[in-house]
Amino acid sequence: MSTTLLPEEQPKNLHRRSKSAETKRYGFFPGCVAKESCKELFNSTMLLADKLGIELIELTAASCCGASVVNDTNRDIARVLNARTYAQAEALGLDDVITICSTCTGHMRAANKELLDSEERMNHANAILGKFGARYGGNVMVRHLLWLLIDDIGLDNLRNMVVRPLNGLKVAPFYGCHIIRPESVNGWESARNPHSLEDLVEALGGEAVDYAGKTRCCGFHIQLEKDGVAASMVGQNMRMAKDKGAEAVITPCPLCHLALDGYQQDAASRWGRTDLPTFHLPQLVAYALGVPAEKLGLNHHLIDPRPIMVERDLIA
Amino acid sequence: MIKLDIFRFDEAADEVPHRDVVEVDVPETTTVLDALEEAKATVDGSISFRRSCRSAICGSCSMNINGVTGLACKTPCNTVMDESGTIHIDPMPNFQPMRDLVVHMDPFWDKYTRLKPYLQPADKDEDHERERRVSPEDMKKLVDVANCIMCATCYALCPVVSVDPAFAGPAAIAYAYRFIEDVRDGERSERLAQINEDYLWLCAHCYACSYCPKHVDPHWRIVDVKRATINDRVMMNERGPRHALTVNKTVKQTGMLAETELIIGTIGRFNIRGLLKTVPLGLRMAAKGKMPPPFIKPIPKVDEIRTIFESLEVPVG
Repeated sequence: MSTTLLPEEQPKNLHRRSKSAETKRYGFFPGCVAKESCKELFNSTMLLADKLGIELIELTAASCCGASVVNDTNRDIARVLNARTYAQAEALGLDDVITICSTCTGHMRAANKELLDSEERMNHANAILGKFGARYGGNVMVRHLLWLLIDDIGLDNLRNMVVRPLNGLKVAPFYGCHIIRPESVNGWESARNPHSLEDLVEALGGEAVDYAGKTRCCGFHIQLEKDGVAASMVGQNMRMAKDKGAEAVITPCPLCHLALDGYQQDAASRWGRTDLPTFHLPQLVAYALGVPAEKLGLNHHLIDPRPIMVERDLIA
Repeated sequence: MIKLDIFRFDEAADEVPHRDVVEVDVPETTTVLDALEEAKATVDGSISFRRSCRSAICGSCSMNINGVTGLACKTPCNTVMDESGTIHIDPMPNFQPMRDLVVHMDPFWDKYTRLKPYLQPADKDEDHERERRVSPEDMKKLVDVANCIMCATCYALCPVVSVDPAFAGPAAIAYAYRFIEDVRDGERSERLAQINEDYLWLCAHCYACSYCPKHVDPHWRIVDVKRATINDRVMMNERGPRHALTVNKTVKQTGMLAETELIIGTIGRFNIRGLLKTVPLGLRMAAKGKMPPPFIKPIPKVDEIRTIFESLEVPVG
């Protein structure tokens, strides 16, 4: 399906070959949730980086990206918070900032685009950063770990690195809105028919399950807004995946993970039981590349992925 | 030849829908709408769909084309047909089908008319001879939204509408913005209260409505209406504004989005019943060692975050 952007809509300076890809040293922005309720995501990312032979240098003084909510009250604040993070990466001589959350990816890229598109906004941000001696020179590119895996490591290399193939495990991708939409901000692949996660699952020896819910919303951002709505969005999407034969889900976003993992039980009254375990992206990749399963924090999932892994002869 | 695989259903006669595959001899660059017109004229006159202008102005022909909702008159066949030359056409999702590709639009119109989509000037009882002038700067804010042709594409794409029809949906909120930000209008606070009651804050930030065929981009107008709600201090004790302000507070204080504080701050520290509802999931998470910490240690150099907030915060009210 054609979703080609008009030339004026192409993300400007937001996709380019980076120095980090050559040096294998990347700035790393874990985001809030990987440090709070999804620590297993942070840990499995670091274990995966070791396996890949890349260095993820955590930006320890970085703040929240704004998580789409700071925008609701003040877009300038969200933009300057992110400019501060980019300035930290530049000060460390890094030009890539790697994220492990769809929402961080989208909102950090949006802020970067706003800064790169307008000298006025960049100067405004730097005037504020200047109050504490920081400066953003506009050289940072925000990328998700998923894109790093495919662009910098490559699917063929990954395929060769697999020591424990997924034995045809049927995995449904769940992208998370902000890694694909809006296309003018992300634009790395088609937002309407993305296939990077499918390609990755197949490279790891799994079977990717295609279903209409893969690009839909998990409802995370409105989970506290009105009882039952987010759960129902989860149930609707997981029903579609289950009906197409999925045995598990993979997501590049910890917010989607929390919603999918936490709400399937509550959604069962309306959508029937689905009980699909939800892997964080680096968990499944790290497993296939040989990181011991017990180090991946699978025991922290509400819907335990281990029974289906036993059934598929992936773990004992 | 192009094959159109069309959803067929007549609510007056059919128990369940079926599909018809119709072949038409048109160039591949023909729009889906023209291919449908050809099918209706040459193959089966009973195929039903809405259309009028055929040039993306009237907003009648939005439908689901290969799973993607959009205007049939703006979609060339060669951009959507598969290798066998087939295009799958369905009515817009989130609507009750009436006949083939025609749907019942009533819920969409109801939500729109609830917002009183007409100017209500503060001085409406006074002299009607005088013109009400608007500066070009003030008008600029409204031009994009005024391009809305009410095709309901965004409403059909909205995942929140699909599970909770109480949500106003993107188009209605964008249209509310059009009058909320109109300097001539005198009902700003009533409009803000109304759109808050129609679940403004249920927007899930998914950007599905970024596929607006007229580039209205309802998402950003929804954000604008939320901001107006907070600036005008309308319904501040509801969960939406509390959620937004708690995120801001925790980021300002710690540099991080503090999950535990966010839950308590949004539901309300003294809303015991609301907080109790979060207990079952909380316990399940605690049992798996997945509870967010109760307090967040501030990030290094958190004073820089406070400097950013204090430099940019606009006094509310």
